[in-house]
Amino acid sequence: MIVDSAAAFDVRDYLRQEMMPHFLCPGCGHGIALRALLWAIHEQGIDKDTLAVVSGIGCAGRLSAYIDANTFHVTHGRPLAYATGLALARPDLHVVVITGDGDCLAIGGNHLIHACRRNLKLTCLMLNNEVYGMTGGQVSPTTSESRLTSTTPHGNAEPRFDACALAAAAGASFVGREGTRHVPKLKELIRSGLVHPGFAFVEVLSDCTEIFGRKNELGSSPEMMLRQKSELRPSAYRDTVDTPFRSNDLPTGILTKTERPEYGAAYRKAAAAQRASMAKASAAKSAAAPAKGTP
Amino acid sequence: MSAPSASRSGIDDEQLRPSATAAKAREPMNVLIVGVGGQGVIMVSKALAWLAQSKGFEVKQSEVHGMAKRGGTVFSHVRFGPQVWSPTIPKGEADILVALEWAEGLRWLPFLKPDTGIFICDTKRIVPPFACLNRRPGAPLRYSRETPAEVKAHVAEGYAIDATRMAEELGNERAANVVLIGALSTVLDFPAADWELALSAFVPKKTIAVNLDAFRLGRNWIDAARRTTTVAPEAGAPAANIPAPALVAYSVRLEITPQWCKSCDICVKLCPERCLRLNDERIVELAQPERCTGCRLCELLCPDFAIRVHLDAVANNAAAAQGATA
Amino acid sequence: MNAVDTALAPKPAVRLISGNHACALGALAAGCRFFAGYPITPSSEIAERLSRLLPEVDGVFVQMEDEIASIAAVIGASMGGVKALTATSGPGFSLKQENIGYAAGAEIPCVIVNVMRGGPSTGMPTRPAQGDIMQARWGSHGDYPIVVLAPASVREIYDETMRAFDLAETCRTPVVLLYDQVIAQLAETVELGDTSDLARTERKWASGPRAAYQPYAADEDGIPAMSRPGAGYRVHTTGLNHAENGFPTQNPEAVARNLGRLLTKLDRHRDAIDSWQTINCDDAEVLIVAIGISARAATRALDIARARGVRAGLFRPITLWPFPETALREVAARARAVLVPEMNAGQLSLEVERILGGKRVEGMHRFNGEPITPAEIAARAESLAKAALAKETR
Repeated sequence: MIVDSAAAFDVRDYLRQEMMPHFLCPGCGHGIALRALLWAIHEQGIDKDTLAVVSGIGCAGRLSAYIDANTFHVTHGRPLAYATGLALARPDLHVVVITGDGDCLAIGGNHLIHACRRNLKLTCLMLNNEVYGMTGGQVSPTTSESRLTSTTPHGNAEPRFDACALAAAAGASFVGREGTRHVPKLKELIRSGLVHPGFAFVEVLSDCTEIFGRKNELGSSPEMMLRQKSELRPSAYRDTVDTPFRSNDLPTGILTKTERPEYGAAYRKAAAAQRASMAKASAAKSAAAPAKGTP
Repeated sequence: MSAPSASRSGIDDEQLRPSATAAKAREPMNVLIVGVGGQGVIMVSKALAWLAQSKGFEVKQSEVHGMAKRGGTVFSHVRFGPQVWSPTIPKGEADILVALEWAEGLRWLPFLKPDTGIFICDTKRIVPPFACLNRRPGAPLRYSRETPAEVKAHVAEGYAIDATRMAEELGNERAANVVLIGALSTVLDFPAADWELALSAFVPKKTIAVNLDAFRLGRNWIDAARRTTTVAPEAGAPAANIPAPALVAYSVRLEITPQWCKSCDICVKLCPERCLRLNDERIVELAQPERCTGCRLCELLCPDFAIRVHLDAVANNAAAAQGATA
Repeated sequence: MNAVDTALAPKPAVRLISGNHACALGALAAGCRFFAGYPITPSSEIAERLSRLLPEVDGVFVQMEDEIASIAAVIGASMGGVKALTATSGPGFSLKQENIGYAAGAEIPCVIVNVMRGGPSTGMPTRPAQGDIMQARWGSHGDYPIVVLAPASVREIYDETMRAFDLAETCRTPVVLLYDQVIAQLAETVELGDTSDLARTERKWASGPRAAYQPYAADEDGIPAMSRPGAGYRVHTTGLNHAENGFPTQNPEAVARNLGRLLTKLDRHRDAIDSWQTINCDDAEVLIVAIGISARAATRALDIARARGVRAGLFRPITLWPFPETALREVAARARAVLVPEMNAGQLSLEVERILGGKRVEGMHRFNGEPITPAEIAARAESLAKAALAKETR
């Protein structure tokens, strides 16, 4: 069934081919995540003309330039805020946000928690590679403990964020996580996020091979990819003990899915009611004083 | 309380099977029901157990369905009689083997009584993943090649029924297990009306009508089979031929965009067939085209969109083979 | 987003409203249909008004999680093709700067109201100041063009808010509406008139075939046509330096060409942008240059000074940036001395000094939250006139 679904989809139909090859390092997981996103968009039948992709700064932020859609590469940490304005002003657009772990959780953390709370229809794809790759490999909010980065020369002493737990705690109505190792599953997760009527937060565990992988001696690109399998486990098996998984494993799959009023629709509904009651009041007023009507 | 006996209700006494003789009256009746997850094995066994219990027999039912959700094997032992000690049927002791899937039926054949066991089997084929010798689409499968006629030669009495197709024609493929219950009912001497009562209790309310139709269809099919043949139908009897699974043959073609490839090696190392390599310029190429199965893993995992797998459907296997040799 | 402007439905022609209220009404009249903001004194009344008025015209009001999110949402809405406004004050204005730079660089029209209060930092939230004159022009990093309007009355806030939208749309630039706390919260009777037949400016939208469209290729007027998402152009918008095709580039020629066009694009629209007021300048020996509440005090000071025999005139830039330099030079040529009263430690005076070259420019600075009074300005003008006369006759 994977064969059938993939056969109809040619990723190049959704890429700005004149921009290719992209600027990502060899083996970077972001390219795989981009494929999964475009595949999900294709399967969902979203028109490229009504697709708006808003991205922040960093390796993940650069992805929007390669998508053949209405793309906005905005300031560091703010893509969710830009997307909020865009989606509120243009409910006819399908707005997708691409952000990185630093972009989304550090400089843009405030926007994330409030986007989760507000529940405006947006799909937020956070590509987590545990590091600030673009600036040379500094520690990020999701860097695992003890990892080496260019600003944690003796190993990271800070605990990391569980982005999905954060989003769920902030009230996100759809939260999911998947690794780039499982492309069809990742595509399905993103697709579920795209159709979710509200704010959907999808964390993609991606590999920074050239900087993070090299610094921490995690092996070549294929080795890093294979490692994902041992570090991830479906949320359905969350109740089991850590072995044989690593202690710092992360659950995958759809972790939260609830029904809450979508902010944009709720706002427009209330505004329409306000206009209706005003029209009614003004009609009553003019009926009460017909003589005073203007010519 | 009548002793359990395998006797076809409404069918002449001289056609009683050996297992139904009064000499075995004190022995429990052993019915083994097998299939794969999702086919309704448990429902069949529950209906039978409920019916036997309602007739005053002691009933023991024991089942394994751990892998059911994943299309794995499911089996259920149903034993009933004046007194039943063990919940499971030893090898070679089953009076009746009801199989909802062809290969599962063959798998459990050793459990049938060699001389008297009755084999009732759907010819439905559900190919398990480990029967795939080669991941190339259209490749031959390691699935049983035995024909119904060959199998029948090895059992005292055998019926190969295309129950799934019969149920499909009734409008509900899921009623295939009830077609088999209809067949089963002819070798046990519970009244048909009681079977129908039991079925009505176990199937979803909305599907009672179609399931009762399926039950009668199964009963009539066995009757028809017996009328046209002797006790053990030979090949060419109404026993359905097993249709080969509809496999589409593909020719696989890799379209590689060399200027996009960044030599990350992911495709080479993660290819299940190890048929890719990096060439002298460290650009991916298909080194062993004959081994490529078209699984697309390289395409899906390429971070640089440098690989595109084309599966071009070939008209049929023969044509593909001809094309390859030509 | 069009609907019956019930918010603008027949109201008394003459109304007593505050500056912030006038700003909200002006925005609606200009066709603003999106507001994002964050509470901050003394600009919150704009948000409060618009939270009620925007839904009436099928617009959107949203209170964001912080100042940065507010400007980001406004730019996002404008990217979607909707006229958008945010309002803030000193600390919030500082926070917004990076994204104002983005709007300038990516040429996204938007209007930012900055009601000036005492600074630095949290400063004096309820006291007036004029300390953001330089920040309004130079607040974001790098070189970029921006339009800053400085109204001095409630009526003018209304007009200039509308003009701010017009300039933002026609020039594809962020426009800052800069006024101080006194005018923001001052209520005056104003006659707003009927705005229903007001010709509203729309930005230049892309048309024609997609293949030929270059999102940052400008016409002779220096302003590139913008593509509306959904219209089929599917372009890339970025804060990185970009070429005509909208994609990032580090090619020196492409950067120089495109940034050069950006930095000079307002020059071709100075007729529409420049705006100033002169009072009694024809024979003025002392020229007072002031904006906002200081200009209002100066207007009164002119009469006091004249009564004491000092010929004083006022030059009041309404468009603060780009500064109407030519007009100022012309007016100042006839004056012996120039006085710049302002509620800061010397910002406008720096610019005036720069423009007027060797001419004596005297700053009159106050930053204690108390407006400068007309009497003080008049007295200073008088002493300045005397000193200048003495110097000339010596």
